[in-house]
Amino acid sequence: MFQRPTDPPHPRQEPRIPQPLSLENLEQTFEGCADFNKRQVYLHGDPGRQVTVCYIGGMARTERINDYVFRPLAQDPMLASAPESQVFDLLEKGAIYAQKAERETELDQVALAIIDGSCALFFPGRQDALVVPVATEEKRSVGEPENEPSLKGARDSFVESLRTNTSLVRRRLRAPELKVKEHIVGRQSLTPVDVVYLAGIADPDTVARLEQKLDAMDIDGVEAAGNLEEYLVEASRTPFPLMAYTQRPDRFCQGLLEGRVGLIADGIPLGWLIPGTIDQFFKTGQDRAYHWMTASALSLIRYLCALVTLLLPGLYIALVTFHPEAIPVKLALSIVSAKQEVPFSTIFEVLIMLLAFEVVQEAGLRLPSPIGATVSILGGLVVGNAAVDAHIVSPAVLIAVAIAGVAGYTMPSQDFGNALRLWRFLLAILASLGGLLGLVLGCAALIYHLAGLETFGVPYLAPFTTGVQVRRGHPTLFRLPLPRMKWRDGAVHTQNRRNQA
Amino acid sequence: MRGRITALWAALCLLLTGCGRMPYPREMEDMALLRTMGVDREGGVLALTVSTGPRARGLQGDQESALVLSARGESLSAAALSLQGLSDSYVFFGYVDQLLLGEELAREDVRPVLDWFARDAELGLGARVWVVRGSAREAVESGGDRGVDSRLTTLRADGEMGVASLSRTAGEVYADLLEQGTAYLPALTVSGQEAGSLKDGGYAVFKDGALAGYLEGEEALGLELLAGQSSVHMLEERTGEETVSLRVTASSAACRLTGEGRLSLTCRVAVHLEEYRHPLTASQLEDLQNRVKTREEGRVRAALDRLRDWKADCLGLGPRAGLTAPQVWSGLQENWDEAFAAMEPEVEVRVELHP
Repeated sequence: MFQRPTDPPHPRQEPRIPQPLSLENLEQTFEGCADFNKRQVYLHGDPGRQVTVCYIGGMARTERINDYVFRPLAQDPMLASAPESQVFDLLEKGAIYAQKAERETELDQVALAIIDGSCALFFPGRQDALVVPVATEEKRSVGEPENEPSLKGARDSFVESLRTNTSLVRRRLRAPELKVKEHIVGRQSLTPVDVVYLAGIADPDTVARLEQKLDAMDIDGVEAAGNLEEYLVEASRTPFPLMAYTQRPDRFCQGLLEGRVGLIADGIPLGWLIPGTIDQFFKTGQDRAYHWMTASALSLIRYLCALVTLLLPGLYIALVTFHPEAIPVKLALSIVSAKQEVPFSTIFEVLIMLLAFEVVQEAGLRLPSPIGATVSILGGLVVGNAAVDAHIVSPAVLIAVAIAGVAGYTMPSQDFGNALRLWRFLLAILASLGGLLGLVLGCAALIYHLAGLETFGVPYLAPFTTGVQVRRGHPTLFRLPLPRMKWRDGAVHTQNRRNQA
Repeated sequence: MRGRITALWAALCLLLTGCGRMPYPREMEDMALLRTMGVDREGGVLALTVSTGPRARGLQGDQESALVLSARGESLSAAALSLQGLSDSYVFFGYVDQLLLGEELAREDVRPVLDWFARDAELGLGARVWVVRGSAREAVESGGDRGVDSRLTTLRADGEMGVASLSRTAGEVYADLLEQGTAYLPALTVSGQEAGSLKDGGYAVFKDGALAGYLEGEEALGLELLAGQSSVHMLEERTGEETVSLRVTASSAACRLTGEGRLSLTCRVAVHLEEYRHPLTASQLEDLQNRVKTREEGRVRAALDRLRDWKADCLGLGPRAGLTAPQVWSGLQENWDEAFAAMEPEVEVRVELHP
């Protein structure tokens, strides 16, 4: 039989640069890199004693190299008077005004260090180099979380810098039990990814599984959130997100306190919380800030809105097309009067309007915000109104689809909202085929699907059904007064379940 | 693998439920949404007359006149099927919530009609039922262009508010007929062809599915008192030199069986003094209270006498009273109709006069 030729395996090379450490090999490694710089310096002006400083422009900060490295090298008389064999040790032990100076013997380490913003000092005739961190700290400043606005709470947000993000977490959780373990992911990107958790609270098994999966990841780069999500959990099976994420450090810390394991990647201004059970996608950072009654009411509304956005178009099709007797008389008469003179069937109308809603939304998102707003207004209001006036679309359908769409926006998690949007289409199609029977079968399939999902050994529907004899903790649909929330969620397998006296 | 097997089992179970045939979609704007149905016996066959409400035409809000269709058949289903051929749209019975029964049909037997409502996929026992003293077709057609449904809706709402006869659903009536063999229904009279031509016509009492007779005026009020749902009505009484108006606002009724097997009825009536010129003295109030008591007791007795004549305990007084003395009731239950006709119930009316 004919077999398609398969691509050869893609082995990871360790070490990446197999040559021995020398200035020449380093230059060869960075050949063709315009941003690679080197400069020879005489120690205290002595031409007999010279050192070569290598760094990458833009990654190393010029002022720091000048002040911390070039100035002591050029001006410190001790470097010229000390025996030549001791100069390296003097520089390593403090003659350079940097927080750290490390001796490296492998080309791999030196190359990666200067990519990270360090500079490397090479002495003639030596097989090692001194690496001094002088990295630039050019990064976006900590701003407000745009996707999770806060009315009553902290206003800082994660940024692209990993160390800034871990510092934001450390400032909130000062306990030394807060552990930050770093892993490098991506062959080409070499992205640092930190696993953050509270020792003694988080499940060690979950931490170990997460670290194991991170180490097993062999990809080119971590440029998007999906690069982590789709490798760490079985995301390809479901449109529903299996890892909750947040821009807010306070919410991230709350997750750590609940016994979840955090994940922060350099270059992505988000923090993930693992395991991601379904209740996580209905919670907001404000839930603990508002009064418990208000927070409970809002939580119930969000769950209700999830049902509305999921079921309303399908329910409309099923009732209007298959089971009109289930509609109250006056509403039925209104629907009939609105539907008069509209040339399309209800099924076609609803599906087309759902599609149009998605198109308008997508167009609004892709364009710059001023134009995006115009497109939304034009698409939503003007075209919608004109379509109703021209009897192309029934206003009842427009209202049903708009309510379903707006209800979807109440979802705190965009990913979860997107999954609901996909299932909304599916349920509408099933309702078109079999009315309420089709809709109910679709709902059963959805529950079956959700019940089959698992994230790091925890059932996705864990707050509602743990699947094991573990006490749940607290109600999910609403929030109790905080002094009565004494337990961490049982399904997360925390080591210490009590969270207050 | 386990999931696939479960899914296969679920699909098999679904097919075994008989849900293999998918429902058929229909657009609502292509339907004639019927609101009212009249059933008559005409020349030995059954006649169905149906009516929609005023039908909207598009968003402009102008309205088409109500659609009235009429068909005959050997059976109700045959007549209903004939109706489909008379309209240019699909005749949909799912919104029929008003059923009018013609007098001739009522004298014969109304149970087949109620049974049809119970069994049909589109019709339901939630429909309100009236007996028309005359032809149901005439009553349905009396609505003219606007249809009769708004008038019937008003009558129903008035009945629920206590300012018209009590309205009853097909389910309530059918349950009464099946359980106790008798039932009562509000009756309507037709006077003319203009809107509002349907008037209260007392109550029709059924015995074994057939019309036994009507309760009107004082007897109808007596029936309402016995049902504990007296409609609001006015009483005028003279006290001294002046006439005062009293409004009966509420009533309740309780019944029990005595050890000797006698039916004892207690009605409580709340009466409000509405119009008077001078404040009444205590003795005048007591006098008024006694007079109201006498009048209301007379009404109750009039209704009871008529029901006993027909041997029709349509209010279920016997079964209700039997709960207070099960042993006594077990001896009477077999021949309750005869016992009810033969006994002279004790009637006590208690009046609460609110000055």
